[in-house]
Formats: sequence, structure tokens, C-alpha cells
Amino acid sequence: MLKGLGNVVVKELKELLRDPKILIGMILVPLVMFPIMGFVIRGAMESTEERLQSLQIGVVDFDHGIIAKNLTDFLDDLDTVILVNISASNVEEAVEILQTETNATDLIVIPAGFTENVSQANPDKYPVTVEVYSVFSGAGGIAETATSSVVSEYLEYFKKTLAPDPFQTVPKSIVKGKPTDVPPSVLFSIMFSQVFALPITVSILLVFSMQIAATSVASEKEEKTLETLLSLPISRFTILFGKLAGSTIVAAVGAIAIIVGFNYYMGSFMVMGDMGVSLDLAAIGLAPTLLGYLILGASVFASLLSALALAIIISAFSEDVRGAQSIVGYLYVIIMLPMFIIMFTDFNSLPLAARIVLLAIPYTHPMLAAQATLTGNFLMAIFGVVYVVLFTVALLYIAAKLFATEKILTAKLRFRGFRLRKKKG
Amino acid sequence: MSFAVEAESLVKVFGDIRALDGLSFKIKPGEIYGLIGPNGAGKTTALRIAATLILPTSGSAKVYDHDVVSEASEVRKLIAYLPEEAGAYKNLSGDEYLRFMAKFGSESNEVLEETVRSAEEISGLGDRLRDKVKTYSKGMKRRLLVARALMTKPKLAVLDEPTSGLDVLHSVHVREIIKQYVEKHGVSVLLSSHNMLEVEYLCERVALIDHGKIVAEGTPEELKSKNKVENLEEAFAKVVGLA
Repeated sequence: MLKGLGNVVVKELKELLRDPKILIGMILVPLVMFPIMGFVIRGAMESTEERLQSLQIGVVDFDHGIIAKNLTDFLDDLDTVILVNISASNVEEAVEILQTETNATDLIVIPAGFTENVSQANPDKYPVTVEVYSVFSGAGGIAETATSSVVSEYLEYFKKTLAPDPFQTVPKSIVKGKPTDVPPSVLFSIMFSQVFALPITVSILLVFSMQIAATSVASEKEEKTLETLLSLPISRFTILFGKLAGSTIVAAVGAIAIIVGFNYYMGSFMVMGDMGVSLDLAAIGLAPTLLGYLILGASVFASLLSALALAIIISAFSEDVRGAQSIVGYLYVIIMLPMFIIMFTDFNSLPLAARIVLLAIPYTHPMLAAQATLTGNFLMAIFGVVYVVLFTVALLYIAAKLFATEKILTAKLRFRGFRLRKKKG
Repeated sequence: MSFAVEAESLVKVFGDIRALDGLSFKIKPGEIYGLIGPNGAGKTTALRIAATLILPTSGSAKVYDHDVVSEASEVRKLIAYLPEEAGAYKNLSGDEYLRFMAKFGSESNEVLEETVRSAEEISGLGDRLRDKVKTYSKGMKRRLLVARALMTKPKLAVLDEPTSGLDVLHSVHVREIIKQYVEKHGVSVLLSSHNMLEVEYLCERVALIDHGKIVAEGTPEELKSKNKVENLEEAFAKVVGLA
């Protein structure tokens, strides 16, 4: 029936495996990419675990009764908790002390009348509420809300030593140094959009745009139109910038689409929230400001431009579209890597060397700019925009040099290792 | 006297390969000059240098007294280059492609329209010019590209294998339009070919080129009588010692 199939399969395998581009793209890149991702995720999990193993919790006691003392003693006795007693006259003051004088991530507020009401053991008649405020930085990756859950677990455990369900625990958040009623889970959803949705969308856009730009030069080579174009009485810069402008317009439309979509996405949180309570992000200082959007837009656009210039330079070294796309494919590592790291870790807690490497990659900056819309750390985002612009200018200079010489026609990426091996064979 | 092309001791080295090895030739204004030789002889390299696409490793080349290296932009105003197996933008129509190309050399709308009209006439593609290039056969595409190269009435047309890969009918058409157009407008032509028949029909003078060097030069008649052979193919074989 399928006579000759083996022969065809062997030929296919020879063709595919002898193509260095496929070998590198399909085998070597995953072999490098996955261990790095594993390393990053393991690091993130370890640092989260470490954080939870020595959790710093602030307690402000407005009750001063025996059960309140039992609660603080209970928490203090836990090996995994470093308890910080805070004296304050109200929650705002306690939050301020927590933020300025301690490294605690959570604040438990024991209300006045706690001991008396809990002693009644009648939660219907004497409801008691313990508020747990978690500091929300917006830059901690997926580990951000872990502490809040752990504190709630501790309180649940303590409750079981008393009567059945003697008090309610209400999770709340501390945003930009101010206590708010928004639970950390809701903020996590918002952060999810920043640390997951936006970077993923930006990465897709970068990858897509690079493909467009690489194809635009490579197809000129493949279709043999580049030589004609280069012999026309127009400057090489005109050709280069024409290509860049074409790809940039497409990319800019993409960047605008992202910002508009992102804004809509953020807007959807206005009507979201626990128990149908509407949530006004602007009121708690989490709605991206116009400045935030501008910086984010600039960052995304500058990175796109650099990606396009890079793709054009790379495609100059390939002879056809397939070759250009394969080579551009290698660059996805430097786009995906920052994305994963920022998703899973707190950038600021990474080792200095890792931070320097990440900051050197231009595609880290739109991810950090996205976080900045939450954290308000615009200085870093602006630095990022400036860096990416400088990086892009350098790339454009190289691209212009390439276009000005015969290298645009004659440059080829050589895989010497493979040639040598072939010769020996 | 100003030559259309004046190449002097051109050498071009690509890595370990010496593509041109001291190539010298001169083309008079209005002359059709052919470089003939086998694949890899250095024809395309010589044409690419004349078209300002690549730089000579040593030696010099001038087009109407303009150096192809130091005055490349001046040279590009005088020439039209048709690469071997060149393509056109497949998602543009033939007409759009011609207009796109014509705009670079046209200073007014009148000139642009005149240039496009002239290209329509040269190509002989008629209504098919409204169709996208990707629907064209190889022969039609070549006719479009030859029309593109000649429509601006360049002072020098550099044509690399103008009929390469075409069937007899398309080849005849392309040769005819080159010959007629050149006679009518006094365009100088530097062309390369390994089709000796074509060269004999088109060129006033030819250079036989092998391993980057000219091994013989003259009119087709001179080369044939000097080598006592009946056609250029035999002359070439004799010169390079194959016969």
C-alpha cells in the first residue's frame, strides 16, 4: 500500500535535520529555553516559600482583651511568623507605621470589643470582624497575594480553638500606603491583567511585527526585487526607512490596539468586585493615569521599533523568507524570557546580575512599564523608554550601514560548525 | 571620448572565490555590448558592479565618466538594471508596478504618464497589465520587467540574461523590443548571456569571458572568422581550449 514510504521518510528526516536553522530552532532553543524557564520559576517559588516561611505580620490591637492577647500570642508562637505589634489610634496610622517602620506584608486589625463579643459566642447577635490588610505592590508577580491567604489560614486555625466561627475575617488591601476595602483577590485579578495579559499581548505583537519586517526584506530577496530596488535613483536610506515606516505603521496600529484593548480591559474592573460592589480603580489609585498610558504606549512603540530594526538586520543575512523567519525565531527567546520572569517573580528581588541582564534586553521594558502603571514607578519606565530608544537608534545605524553597502545583497549567515563536520565526514 | 562604460582591471573577490580577475572593457554610446561565458564566469558580477550594487575589490568602472563607487547616485540616474530572474511585486498589478517604478525618475505627472504609456507599449501586455503580477506567466513577467528597464530611456541599460528561462516566442519578443528600442532611442546596452544565438543577434560587440577574465573580444563576425568557426559557441569553445 504505502510502498516507498520509508524512503520518503528518510529523505524528509535528512532534509530537515541537516538544515541548521531547523536544528537550532526546534532542538537547541527548547533545550536552552526550558531549563532557563524552569530555573526562573523554581527561583520564584523558592523565594515565595521563603517569604511565607518567615512571614512578617503586623498586629494592631484596639481591644486589649484576653482573647486578643491569645490571638497575638498564638501568632507569635508560630515558627513561620515574625509578629510586629503596632500601637496606633486608628487603621490609617497603623498602616502608615507598618509601611514606614516595618517590612511586614500584612496587618491584622483586632477591633475594639473583640474579646467581649467573641466571648458571647453568638456571631448572629454579636458579629465580630477582623480585618486583614495585605500590602499590594503590583510588582511581586504571582506570589503577590500568597501572604494574604496564609494569614487567613492562620486566623481560621485560631478560630477553631475558640467557639465555632466566632468572628469573620475580612481580607482588605493596602494600596500605595493607604488602606482600602478591596480584597487582595480582586487586586490580583487586576494585576493578572498587567503581569499576564499585557506582556503576552505585547510579546505576540513583537513576534508578529518582527515577522512582518523580516519578511518584507527577505521576500524582496526571494522574489529578486531587491536588486532592482537598490539600483534605482533613490537613496538606500529612503528604502530602509520606507520599509521601517511601512512595518512601523502596521506595528503602531498594533500598539494602539493593545492600549485601547488594555484600557477596555481595565475598565471592566470598574463593575467587578466582591458581592457586586462596584470598584473604582481611580479612587484607590490603581487606574492607569494618562501619564501611565503615555509611558506604556511609548515603551511598547519604542520596543516595537527596535524589534523591527533588529528583524530587518537579521533578514539581511538570509536568502529567503523561510530563512529569515527561522533566524528571527531565535529572537523569541529574548522576548519570552523577560515575559516569564516578570510574570513569576518580583523583579526587584532578583539578583543584581539577573536584573542587569534583563534590563539590557529591550523587550523587558514594556513589561516593566506595564507594571509601572500599577506601581507608579515611572522613573524606571522612563529610563526604559530612553534606553530602548538609544538601543533602537544604534540598531537603525547598523541597518543603515548594511543597506548602504553590498552586504545587504551578499551577507549570509554561515554555520561553520556544520560545514566543518560535513567536510570531515 | 566619453564611454558608456569604461571598466579597468576589475577584480572582485568573494571569500576564497576570485569572481573577476582583471576585467577591462569599454562600451561606446549607443552600442549593444555583450558579455558571454559559462555560468560562474563572472558576467553577473561585472554587471552588478556596473549597476552600483557591489563594489570592486580593485580596479575601476565608470558610466559616462561617473565612477560607480564614488558617484554611485549619479550613475543610478543614468542606468536601468534588469537582474537575472528578477521578480516584480506579486500583489501589485502590472500597471501599479510600472507606476511605482516610473515615479522614481519622473519629475512631473506628464512625464510619469508618458513613461508608463511607453512601458505599456514595450511590454505588449495590453489589458493584462490590470491583473496582479502573481497571475503572470514567466514570459509575461519578463516582458514587464524589460519594459520597466527600458521605459525611462536610460542612457545605459544593464541587462542580465534578458531572455533567461523564456520559451522561443517570448524570447523573440524580448529580443525584438530590446533591439528596436535601443535603435530608436540610442540607449547603450551592457548585457550578459550564455545564449550565443541571442548575443549574435543583438550585440554589436561581444567579450568572451572565462574565470573572471576576457579571453576574446570583437564583433561576432570577427570572433567567428578569427577562430574559423561557424558560430560564437564554437568560437568560445575554441578560445577556452575545449575544441
